[in-house]
Amino acid sequence: MANYYAIENKLVLKIVYYGPALSGKTTNLMQLHTLLMPQRKGELMVLETRDDRTLFFDMLPIGLRSEKGLDLRLKLYTVPGQVQHDSTRKAVLSRADGVIFIADSQLSQQDNNAIAFDNLASNLQKVGLDIENLPLVVQFNKRDLPSAVDETILQTRWATTPWAPITLASALKGHGVVKSFQQLLSRLYPAVDSEFSLAANHAIGFQTFVDRLSAVNEASDE
Amino acid sequence: MSNLEDDFKLDALLSQQQQTRLLELLGTLGGASVELADNAEEASNQLEFNLDTLGWLRTELPAIQSEAAARLFELILFYAGKYRLAANLHHDVTEASYIELQQKHAALLASEARYKTLSEQLQQQVEKQVKVIEQTQHQLYESARLRAVGQLAAGVAHEINTPIGFIGSNLRVADDYLDEIEASLSDNVDPALLLDDFRALLGESKSGVKRIASIVADLRTFANIDQADFATCDLNALLMTTCHLLQAEHNHTLPIELRLGELPKLAGYPAKLSQAFYNILDNAAKALNEGGRIQVESRLHDGALEVYIEDNGCGMSEDILLRVFEPFFTTRSVGAGSGLGLSVTRDILVAHQGEVRLYSRLGQGTRVTLRFQTG
Ligand SMILES: Nc1nc2c(ncn2[C@@H]2O[C@H](COP(=O)(O)OP(=O)(O)OP(=O)(O)O)[C@@H](O)[C@H]2O)c(=O)[nH]1
Ligand SMILES: [Mg+2]
Repeated sequence: MANYYAIENKLVLKIVYYGPALSGKTTNLMQLHTLLMPQRKGELMVLETRDDRTLFFDMLPIGLRSEKGLDLRLKLYTVPGQVQHDSTRKAVLSRADGVIFIADSQLSQQDNNAIAFDNLASNLQKVGLDIENLPLVVQFNKRDLPSAVDETILQTRWATTPWAPITLASALKGHGVVKSFQQLLSRLYPAVDSEFSLAANHAIGFQTFVDRLSAVNEASDE
Repeated sequence: MSNLEDDFKLDALLSQQQQTRLLELLGTLGGASVELADNAEEASNQLEFNLDTLGWLRTELPAIQSEAAARLFELILFYAGKYRLAANLHHDVTEASYIELQQKHAALLASEARYKTLSEQLQQQVEKQVKVIEQTQHQLYESARLRAVGQLAAGVAHEINTPIGFIGSNLRVADDYLDEIEASLSDNVDPALLLDDFRALLGESKSGVKRIASIVADLRTFANIDQADFATCDLNALLMTTCHLLQAEHNHTLPIELRLGELPKLAGYPAKLSQAFYNILDNAAKALNEGGRIQVESRLHDGALEVYIEDNGCGMSEDILLRVFEPFFTTRSVGAGSGLGLSVTRDILVAHQGEVRLYSRLGQGTRVTLRFQTG
């Protein structure tokens, strides 16, 4: 849940990158760290990995300071995707304000995607969050691989869910990473605005929120 | 998961000691004093961790070196922060797992207790059911036996009584006729011998009739045909009746010695008591060898009515003796006995506030003692 600290006029939101092992969550975050040029950007914190697999989590803080003085922070986390780290996954997921689910496009990984999505649903329930009301974006990563499932098939499959349309990405190449993040910001804004009156009290409208938090380097090909 | 969200203060990342040490080292490196400041005005370089300002660095150094000192300080804070975050997460995950484990344990204990009571209840129910089944079987056995005996008795009584009646009176009339015939044949040659024989014959027939009549009477008593269920019983009379019946079954060949003492009357169920005596006497008869005998004795002893039934037959071994009161235990071949004899006997005695004692030696015989408390 979002935390507002009245004394400092600080609002902290938590975004979690969730998904099966090796789907590219850490790669997404690393690319965001490279590509994003928000007003404020902290160090990318990669916490404990073994063979490049996340053991605890990764975290990237970004933020902006509004004209009216609101110190708005977004903390972007990744969870460890490997099955055995479920307790850690649950701990990182708790109090999330939004989730980006990174699925693996490869045909062989479709079962793992489904299992991980079920795991997300059950862990959300365990930490007291409602998947129907949580801002959630589904990204199919690794589009660059030849065995990637056809886009129309994926779109059709997800069309009837509350999370359509899905986004496509090739995190390795930096494609679709920022777009997915922007989609999450646009789904996140209404929830945050209704709770903290971003527009009314802090003069942060939808466009400002999305644009300023996902500003990119001119050189980027997004 | 509150810890993960916490934004740290400087003291949470580096202890006072470490901060002092770090400042000293930076000062030594730069060649001028380096200190922490509480606000921006006093210094030029702020120290950031995860976008939070944790403090300011004040130095006497040239701007570029001052900046480098601040960035170095931040780098150290960054790694200290990583450790802190990982440690906090680990703590939370461990604690959550532990709480979960405790809950599972508690749930397990609860279900274990539930199953335990359940199994105890089941055990009790099974025991109750077994008792009910045993009781029902006893009742079935008794009622079947009594019904059979009752039917037998009623049938015999009816069948025999009428002919006995007219045979008896016919014989008397025949006796009278003989007197008349004797008178009319007074001068005949030696009819006396013939007539004596004839009379003896009739006399014997009459005693036979008497015996039949007494068997009928015994059967009536045994089957309790004439009496209400609960009555005052004469144990000696019941013993005699039962012996008579058993004798009738064995063609009067059983060597039974009766030594019956004076006994007060006992309130009870005569048919059931007869049944108990019969069961024991029947066992004794079956245990007898050639030349064996059965002794039946009754007496009043220490205010109790005692009946002894003793045989010098085959006797029982100790392990059989231990089991004879079990329902359905029998040493006879299948079909020869229900195995309920002694257990039914004991139940009957218990119903009369009495007790059965069994003494037996293999090859030497068996003595059964029945004690009834009076008053
Ligand atoms: N071909 C291709 N490989 C990718 C892409 N994104 C990530 N990878 C590769 O997939 C592997 C796993 O990527 P990570 O980002 O570490 O995956 P993760 O989801 O963080 O994995 P865990 O931390 O174990 O849950 C790495 O070898 C990446 O280089 C992509 O878009 N295309
Ligand atoms: Mg990872």
